[in-house]
Amino acid sequence: MIGALQILLLSLVAAFTVVCGQNWWQTANQPVFVGLAAGVIMGDPATGMFIGGSMQLTVLGIGTFGGSSHIDANTGSIIATAFSVALGMDPSQALAAIAVPVAAILTVVDVLGRFCNTFFQHRIDTMIEREDYAGIERNFLYGIIPWALSRALPTVLALAFGQGVVQSLMDILNGPLAWLGTGLGVAGAVLPAVGFAILLRYLPVRENWHYLVFGFVVTIFFNYLFTNVKSMGTAVAGAVEGFSGNFIGLPMLGIALVGLFLAVSHYKTTSGRTASQDAAQEGDDDDEL
Amino acid sequence: MTTMSSNEKSTTRYAVTKADINQINRRSIFGFQLGWNYERMQGSGYLFIMLPVMRRIYGDHTPELKRMMQTENQFFNTSNFLNNLVIGIDLAVQEEEGAAAEDTIIGIKTGLMGPFASVGDAIFGSIVPTIFGALAASMAVTGNPLGIILWTIECVVTFALRWWETGFAYKTGSNLISTMHDKLNAITASASVLGIFMVGSLVASNIGVVFTVNPSVAGASINLQNTLNTVLPGLLPAGIVALIYWGLGRRGMTSTKMIFITLVAAVALSALGIIAKG
Repeated sequence: MIGALQILLLSLVAAFTVVCGQNWWQTANQPVFVGLAAGVIMGDPATGMFIGGSMQLTVLGIGTFGGSSHIDANTGSIIATAFSVALGMDPSQALAAIAVPVAAILTVVDVLGRFCNTFFQHRIDTMIEREDYAGIERNFLYGIIPWALSRALPTVLALAFGQGVVQSLMDILNGPLAWLGTGLGVAGAVLPAVGFAILLRYLPVRENWHYLVFGFVVTIFFNYLFTNVKSMGTAVAGAVEGFSGNFIGLPMLGIALVGLFLAVSHYKTTSGRTASQDAAQEGDDDDEL
Repeated sequence: MTTMSSNEKSTTRYAVTKADINQINRRSIFGFQLGWNYERMQGSGYLFIMLPVMRRIYGDHTPELKRMMQTENQFFNTSNFLNNLVIGIDLAVQEEEGAAAEDTIIGIKTGLMGPFASVGDAIFGSIVPTIFGALAASMAVTGNPLGIILWTIECVVTFALRWWETGFAYKTGSNLISTMHDKLNAITASASVLGIFMVGSLVASNIGVVFTVNPSVAGASINLQNTLNTVLPGLLPAGIVALIYWGLGRRGMTSTKMIFITLVAAVALSALGIIAKG
C-alpha cells in the first residue's frame, strides 16, 4: 500500500523536479536523483536508485534540445518506484512495464503545460500595454502552476487509482504471461542502449571514433578483471577460513578519470592551433530526434 | 545609430550597480524558464529578468520603457546556462545608449541566442549529463548514491558560473564574442572527447544482456556467448548500440519510437530464447 502522505510527498517531488530542476538545480530534474528521492519516501532507496539510474541511462542523450518535449523519465521513475516498492514488483520489470510507458504517455502532459503558458504570455502582452509592472511579474510567475500541475496531478492520479491495475498486471506477468514478464526484465536491461545511441548521434563521433573504441575496450578489460576477481574472492572466502579478501567491482570514477586525461591532452594539443577550422565543423550533425 | 545616441546618453544615463546585477542573477537562475511557452519560448522570462533594471534606466510610465518592454518580450530561446552572457551584454548596451539602441539589442539577442544555444546544449545538455549521469546512474543501480552527490556538486559549480557570467559579460560588452569564441570551441571539442570515451565505457558496462541461444553448426551445438567472449566480451551490447544508432538515422524516427521498438524487440528475442539478462 502507498500511504496518503507518501502520495503527497511523491507528487511534491514530481512538481519540484520540473519547477526547480529546469532552473537552478539541474540534478533535481534527472531520473537518477528523482528515483533516489522516491525510494527514500517509499523506504527503499536502493530500488529507487535502480529504477532511476536505469531510466537515466535510457534517456542519457535526450536533453531539452530547443525546448522540445521528450519522454518524462522523472515522473515515470517516481511512479514505477512507488509501485515496485509497495507491491514488491521486480525493479527491472517495473522499469519496462511501468516507467517507460508512463513516461511516454506523460509527454502529452508536458506539451499541455507548455501550451498553457502561452496564455500567460499573452496576459503579459496586455500588462505591458497597461504598464502594470507587478502584473507582468505576477503573470510570469503563474507559469509555475501549469508546470507543477503537469507533473503532480498525473502522479497523484496514478498512485491513488492505479494500484489495482498494477497489481493485476503483476499477477498476469508472473502467472500466465511469464514470458512477457521475463521479456520486460530483459528489455529493462537493453533500454540503456537507446540512450547511448542517441548520445552518439549528438556527439562528434566521426572525428573521434577512436576514443569510443578505447573507452569500450578499456572498460571491457577492467570489467572482466574486476568482476571475476570479485567473484573468485567471494568463492575463496566461502571455502577458505580466515581469507579476508574483500574485492570491489569496477570503479567507474577511475574510468572517467582515464577519459579526463584524454580530454585534457586533447585540449593541450589543439588549443595552440587556430580554432577557426574547428568552428567550420560545428553544427553539421543536426539530426532532429 | 551610435552617433545619434550621444544625445540620449546624457538624458537616460543610469549607472548599473552591483545590486542590479545580483537581482538579475537571482531572477535568471531561479526563474528564467518558468514562463516557457511554445509561442515565444523564453520571451517572457527574458523580460522578467530585465524588467527591474529597465524601470530604473528609463523610469516608470515612459514611452521608452514601454517600447523596450515590448522588445524584450519577443521570441527568445537559448541555453539557460549561457543566457546570462546575452543579458550582460544587453545590459551594458542599454545602460550606455538607452532605448536608441533598440535595433542593436534585437541584433545582439537574435544573433547570440543560436550560437549560445548550440554551445550550451553541447556542453551542459549532453556532455555534462553523459559524464556525470553515467557516473551517477552506474553507481546508483548498484545502490551507491555517491555519483548523485558528485553531480550535485557539479551543479553548484554551474550555479557559480552562471552567477559570474552576467557581470563578466556586462564588463566585457560586445567584445566578448570574439574573445570567447575560440576558447569555447576548444573546450567543447575536448569535452566531447571525454563524452565519447564515456559512452564507449557505458556500452561496455551498462547493457546487461547475453546470448542464450546455442545454435548447432554441423551437428554440434555451440555456446554462442562463450564463443563470442573469446573474440571480445561485450560484442552483443556493442552490436545492439550500433543497430539502434543506425535506426535513429532513418527518416521519421524519433527517440520515443526507438525506445518502444527496442522494448518490443527485446521482449520478442527473450521470448524466443535468444537473449537473456546477464
